Amino acid sequence: MRKILLIIQREYLSRVKKKSFILMTLLTPLIIAGFYGLIIYFSIQGAKGTFNKIAVVSNNKTLTEKLTSGNNTSYVYVNETLETLKPSIRKSGFDYILYLPEFSLDKPAGIQLLGAKQAGLTLNNRVEEDIENIIRTQKLKESGIAQEKLDKLKSSVSIDNKKIDENGKDEDSSAGATMIIGTASGILMFMFILIYGIQVMRGVIEEKTSRIIEVMISSVKPFQLMMGKIIGIALVGLTQFILWIVLTTAISTIAAKMFVDKAPVQQKTMITAQLKAGTKMNQESSNPIAYVQKSLSNLNLTKIISVFLFFFIGGYFFYSALYAAIGSAVDSETETQQFMMPVMMPLLVGYALSLSVITNDPYGSIAFWLSMIPFTSPIAMMVRLPYGVPDWQLALSMVLLIFGFIGTVWVASRIYRVGILMYGKKTSFKEMIKWFAYRN
Amino acid sequence: MLSVKNIVKQYATHRALDDVSLEVEQGKIFGLLGPNGAGKTSLIRIITQITAPDSGEVLFNGKRLSAEHINQIGYLPEERGLYKKMEIGEQVLYLAKLKGLSTPEATKRVKFWFEKLEMGSWWSKKVEDLSKGMQQKVQFVATVLHQPELIILDEPFSGFDPVNAEVIKNEILELNKQGATFIFSTHRMESVEELCDSIALIHRSKKIMDGSVLDIKNKYRNNTYWVEYEGVYDTDVSTELFEVLYRDIQAEKIVLKVKLRAGKTINQLLYALLPTVNIHRLDEVIPTMNDIFIDQVKTKI
Repeated sequence: MRKILLIIQREYLSRVKKKSFILMTLLTPLIIAGFYGLIIYFSIQGAKGTFNKIAVVSNNKTLTEKLTSGNNTSYVYVNETLETLKPSIRKSGFDYILYLPEFSLDKPAGIQLLGAKQAGLTLNNRVEEDIENIIRTQKLKESGIAQEKLDKLKSSVSIDNKKIDENGKDEDSSAGATMIIGTASGILMFMFILIYGIQVMRGVIEEKTSRIIEVMISSVKPFQLMMGKIIGIALVGLTQFILWIVLTTAISTIAAKMFVDKAPVQQKTMITAQLKAGTKMNQESSNPIAYVQKSLSNLNLTKIISVFLFFFIGGYFFYSALYAAIGSAVDSETETQQFMMPVMMPLLVGYALSLSVITNDPYGSIAFWLSMIPFTSPIAMMVRLPYGVPDWQLALSMVLLIFGFIGTVWVASRIYRVGILMYGKKTSFKEMIKWFAYRN
Repeated sequence: MLSVKNIVKQYATHRALDDVSLEVEQGKIFGLLGPNGAGKTSLIRIITQITAPDSGEVLFNGKRLSAEHINQIGYLPEERGLYKKMEIGEQVLYLAKLKGLSTPEATKRVKFWFEKLEMGSWWSKKVEDLSKGMQQKVQFVATVLHQPELIILDEPFSGFDPVNAEVIKNEILELNKQGATFIFSTHRMESVEELCDSIALIHRSKKIMDGSVLDIKNKYRNNTYWVEYEGVYDTDVSTELFEVLYRDIQAEKIVLKVKLRAGKTINQLLYALLPTVNIHRLDEVIPTMNDIFIDQVKTKI
């Protein structure tokens, strides 16, 4: 036991101390936070827009209703003609001139928006919308509808997406966010298993090619060496994962705070409201932050993270044992190709099917079996989880995975103990089966 | 201290060890000899418990070999290496701790050995920055650091320059004086003559000879002598007394290598020569281990 701890310690420290590990661990949250920041930034920019001061030159006697200034535009009615104002537009302090000629309310035509700069599509649309609004208001008034009645006509609708669980209680859900979370954690699982599984293989090959293996094996059992390496590297993966979560949360919280503090007061209230996520806002679909935030708060993140950790450890053990066996059978990394395929295949198939079939039909029988078979369950279960998985299925899948990795560790250790002492021989699958059968 | 009894080890199509038995005495340096592929490494791997025999047993101080003996054995394999990216000091410490030493004890001993073998400045160097000879020294230290009772060295001098080979040889002799038993696996016979008390010769998976170096050499004396003289002797007498294997004439002197015929003695030889020649030198030809090794391996083919 002391020996295995020593091996774990070495495998862990030698990797955690590496510059590449430190760099990866620190940079990734910064990149994530950077993206997060960008999204927040653009959503604020989008809400804020640029402020435009527009001079309204109206020759229209029919349209009596006046344009009212909004958040990003102010309309000022001027008593000048288009001809006198045009030359002085750059000095006048106005950004644009809105020219309203005489037209019938049924057929508004000849409206112009002039400026030193070409008006953007957003501004153009907003001005069009504002004019349409006042025309409609005036028409309604003319048909004899009172102002209060008009106000009452306006209503705001927002649909709450709810899912009913087995106990008949409804819970909030959001189809889009569920898919995003499921897919993201599936991809993350795939990457983690692959990256750290291959690290195990590399470690074994390194010990073989540097010829330290025989020295090691005279002090410790091959099984201890293999497990020490697998566990040590698992801890490296967990360290990275936990640091990513902690750092990403910390950086995004700080970043979000900074953005919110900087924003002008009126937007500030809006953004904080959005960030609080509880509020049902109409712009939900157009505001990604609020949307993701809200959806995240609806999903059980603690559960997702803890299930992720379990399936990461289980799936990693399952595959890394196989990678250790491959590493023991070859003399250099270039020879690993033929053995990598059969190990990679189920992982890739699980990955591809999870992202296509499961996201389309998360409760179907393919989804069920993919999330039960240990070869694919770590990825498939993560993709399924946000949609809701019955507890018994989750438990069964976990138990199967535990048996699965005990199985692969056992098979791998039998190949490993022979493989690490074989040099300079091209290994075949037949050979590996023979090694497996060796008594000692 | 170590008895190997009737060991058989079979790999798929190849019998690596066939009923091999040998005794290594406490405090001795034992040479395990044999051509490449004879089965030496297989035997060593069984003694170091890397593999297990198919049948037969190994006794360590009278007890059947088990996990408790791992820390009492130090093994320097022929295929040896170190972790390339690890610092030397840390690496030796790690290997020592794997052999059961506590951290402070291990640190103390590593410092002692590094000082002794003038490796003090290597502590925080990486293995990849060391020459092959320097790495060998590090590996030697790692092998003996935990003061094992039995030290197994497989080709320990390969890769050493003559100066460092001498340093290591002296360390081996000193450790031996302090009571450590050694098993040497090598095919460099001159180091066997210098160091080993007894040997076993393994060839084609079988032990074909063993015993103390002195006994074996005596056994292989075959009444052959170098004779250096001036003058002429009676050839009639000589032909029934000895056979001339080699003759060289150097100015006035003649050098002969002669083999006495069965039943004849050195006195008879002298008696026959003395009346007519002046003898300058007369030595017995004692076979070197190298000769015996080659002779044995060739005749068994």
